[in-house]
Amino acid sequence: MLVKKLFRTFGEYKAQFISMILMIMIGVGIFIGFNMEWVTIEKDTNAFYEETHFADYRVVNDGDLGFTEQDLEAIKAIKGVDAAALFASIDLNVKGEDKKTLAVTVTTSKDVSFFKLMSGAPYDEADEEGIWLSERYAKENHIKVGDTITLFYNSDIPLIVRGLVKSAEYLICVPDNGAVMPSFDKYGFAYVSPAAYLSLAEFPIYPQINVRSSLSEKQFKKAVNAALAKTTLVLTKDEVISYAEVQGEAKEGKTMGAFLPLVFLLIAVLTMITTMHRIAAKEKTQIGTLKALGFRDGTLLRHYTMLSLFVGIIGSILGIGLGYLVCYFIMNPHGAMGTYFDMSYWTMYLPWFSFLVIALVLALFTAVGYFSVSRMLKGSAAEALRPLAPKKAKKVLLEKTPLWNKLSFGMKWNLRDMMRHKSRLFMSLLGVIGCMVILVGAMGMKDTATEFIDSYYEGAMNYKTCIYLDTSASDTARNEVIELYGGNYSATVPVEIGEKAISLTVWSLPNDKMRFLKEDNSYVKLTDNEAFVCARIAEEFGVGKGDTIKISPFGKSEVYELTVGGVARSLSESVMISVDYANALGIEYKADTIYSDTPISEVDASLVAVKNVRTKGEIMESFDSFMEIMNEMILLLIIAGIILGVIVLYNLGSMGYTERYLEMATLKVVGFNNKKIARLLIGQTMLITFFGIILGFPLGVLVLKWLITALASEYEMSLYLGPLTYLVSILVTAGVSLIVGVLVARKNKKIDMVAALKAPE
Amino acid sequence: MSLIELKGVSKIYKSGEHELRALDNVDLTIEKGKFVVILGPSGAGKSTLLNILGGLDSPDEGKIIVNEKDISALSGNALADYRAKTVGFVFQFYNLIPTLTVRENVALVREIAPNAFPAEKMIAEVGLADHLNNFPSELSGGEQQRVSIARALAKNPEIILCDEPTGALDSDTGVIVLKLLLDMARSYGKTILIVTHNQNIAKMADVVVRVKNGKIISAEEQIPLSADDVEW
Repeated sequence: MLVKKLFRTFGEYKAQFISMILMIMIGVGIFIGFNMEWVTIEKDTNAFYEETHFADYRVVNDGDLGFTEQDLEAIKAIKGVDAAALFASIDLNVKGEDKKTLAVTVTTSKDVSFFKLMSGAPYDEADEEGIWLSERYAKENHIKVGDTITLFYNSDIPLIVRGLVKSAEYLICVPDNGAVMPSFDKYGFAYVSPAAYLSLAEFPIYPQINVRSSLSEKQFKKAVNAALAKTTLVLTKDEVISYAEVQGEAKEGKTMGAFLPLVFLLIAVLTMITTMHRIAAKEKTQIGTLKALGFRDGTLLRHYTMLSLFVGIIGSILGIGLGYLVCYFIMNPHGAMGTYFDMSYWTMYLPWFSFLVIALVLALFTAVGYFSVSRMLKGSAAEALRPLAPKKAKKVLLEKTPLWNKLSFGMKWNLRDMMRHKSRLFMSLLGVIGCMVILVGAMGMKDTATEFIDSYYEGAMNYKTCIYLDTSASDTARNEVIELYGGNYSATVPVEIGEKAISLTVWSLPNDKMRFLKEDNSYVKLTDNEAFVCARIAEEFGVGKGDTIKISPFGKSEVYELTVGGVARSLSESVMISVDYANALGIEYKADTIYSDTPISEVDASLVAVKNVRTKGEIMESFDSFMEIMNEMILLLIIAGIILGVIVLYNLGSMGYTERYLEMATLKVVGFNNKKIARLLIGQTMLITFFGIILGFPLGVLVLKWLITALASEYEMSLYLGPLTYLVSILVTAGVSLIVGVLVARKNKKIDMVAALKAPE
Repeated sequence: MSLIELKGVSKIYKSGEHELRALDNVDLTIEKGKFVVILGPSGAGKSTLLNILGGLDSPDEGKIIVNEKDISALSGNALADYRAKTVGFVFQFYNLIPTLTVRENVALVREIAPNAFPAEKMIAEVGLADHLNNFPSELSGGEQQRVSIARALAKNPEIILCDEPTGALDSDTGVIVLKLLLDMARSYGKTILIVTHNQNIAKMADVVVRVKNGKIISAEEQIPLSADDVEW
């Protein structure tokens, strides 16, 4: 019989219960979604790294001749090295296709950073005419196994596609020019055999040795320097995009998975506390009656505890479903991760701690149900029968000020009611603040990114065309090209600062074709006696204007001391200096990029020293998909924020409505019409909303600040909020409140004056 | 001159096929300034009659003319307007707003009634000038009922409707409150209708209306006794 009652009680408070189920669903759903995301990324990519024998270390030779077989043998001889291979990756243009490039890869061993064959013929290291092409690139360009593609390397080289492949080495397949997102149709990768490499380049150069080893970074670096008898640049996995960015994504998932769901679950639990307490208070006479009839306390406790447990279970089950959906939304081939990572498969993993969190939520809910009811059961049956004495009204602080008398009766009514039901007030505030924080955080993130890209595109990139130089060409050849296209160029020198590998970029910018933004968006002026460091280095090494830093180019024993002139925003971790400063210090560099106003059509790409030409627009293209992903996430967040606001406000609004039912009935009897009563009700909601917005906005900015460092430190963005964000976040939050307020207030047409007046409060 | 006129008023509650006529073809005329007591056992239809007169409910059949105006077909807002200007209520459970002070509870009618009296004056007249800033929960039942009388009269309505106004009070307090109610209503020249099943209250009325099974079985004028002459 009690079970029947259970369902009827559920029906009676359905608004409250449904809203709590939704909150748990969203909380658990987002929790599972994002945590599943990062666990899935970690597990799947780790499997993929293993499968294709992703190198642990990359030994890099910056010289012109690359590594030799002897070098390789020396590395292999190091104790603790499991496998090593000579490795080369050369960007070659695809003939007949407009600006399509393949990173053509050669490795001397299948045991390090190799590929996974998806279809076609297996790898044959003696094959001189075959190429194993990226499956994704092939798909985007409609290339099949057996087709021939022609690459340009000194001359045209036709190669037959033997197989379609994927590789962890190119898990994030971006050209090395600051692109953020892959564009699978324009830039792909392919493997050819060393035999093919030999036939197309007379003197094949291997600038890299890939190594699999369980040695620590320090041990390995020491061993390499000893084996090759010079300081050599060694890149750890963390310095390789295909590994570092993946870890970054996983970290972002962790951050998102920790913060957002917490907000929802916290609000869900708090709502549950207020709601269960109200329900128990309202049912007190019923609880007392059942007790008087002879039901044991335990039976009644179980009955009401079941109610909250039931809510928790339904919410959790729906949440797991939602979690899978969120995860799929992100991970599917067309979702954010699918367009970023080139994985051969995704298997979704539900992390074990999800169940722990769900169990915790259920336990909390059960406890909430238990304690609210046990309060009502206290004492004898006679005591339990008596309804809970309503809270007394109290004077509010404002009454002591002269302002009080100027307030309308409605305002007084609302203020006192809010003070009388503080938990309801607090929860409603929390709902509005939550909504506001999520909106400001999400839209601010977008503003910040847009502003960053704009300032980068409009301000920093002050050129039309970017010409990449072939650093193996002679200095004379390169200088000719530089002269021809305006004289603005840069060079990248890999250097060590402390134990860390970073880039030293050397700039000659007579016409400011490239500029560097400071944190406040003004421009840095490179001088002949100062270096500028990027924000991440400034933070990591604790340096600022006036300090000095010591750098050492790889392969050299010299150590240079640079004076820091300030901090500049940079996409890569780098130190920027002018050519004058580099010359003054005696640092050697090789120009590799020209920034020019010459339109791309007028650039002579056939010059020997020219490797590649890109327009500014093409370089910025990769940001488009970055922004697309951003927009998706932001939409998801905005929806979550609005749902949060609607659920919390509706739940508490209808709770407040129920609690003030008798008062409203009286007002109606006295002669207040529906409109006037509705205005009173909505007035309270809007009053709370007003304070919620005032509190929520700065909190949102704080969260945004945290999000920017947690999610996108690699872009060195500075926080920016557009005027539209102020307006939209406030209007949407206020709009949500207003709509919910109107929805709740609409019920007052149904107030039964006659019935309400029969019952004393 | 008749202030209130009911012509063939019926109120029917349907539940399934069952039909309950809470009011069954009722005709009644009430003169201005009279003190009318409506007597009858529980479920006779007296509260329904009061609710319909007060504009809390609408009849299913018939007409109610108040001040030469038919209120039986008024819409929700027009009915609210009627309640605001024409009638004042006093209920068994006082129905004060718990979050408003005594002064504010009475003053709130100024928001809706154009000819309302100042709250302080009305509160002083019911003898609660010292309790202006108290909340209802800080007052006794009798005091609370006096606040509700002040609120009803503050609107300066034509008619005061009372549903068992002494029902929740002990008999001594009840008499005091009742006397106050009558004295004030008379001094302001109001027409007053009290629904009760207390025979003693009926002795003080100008007109006694007896209701049974939804019908008026008698409506007789009488010479009222003063409260002091009634044996409580």
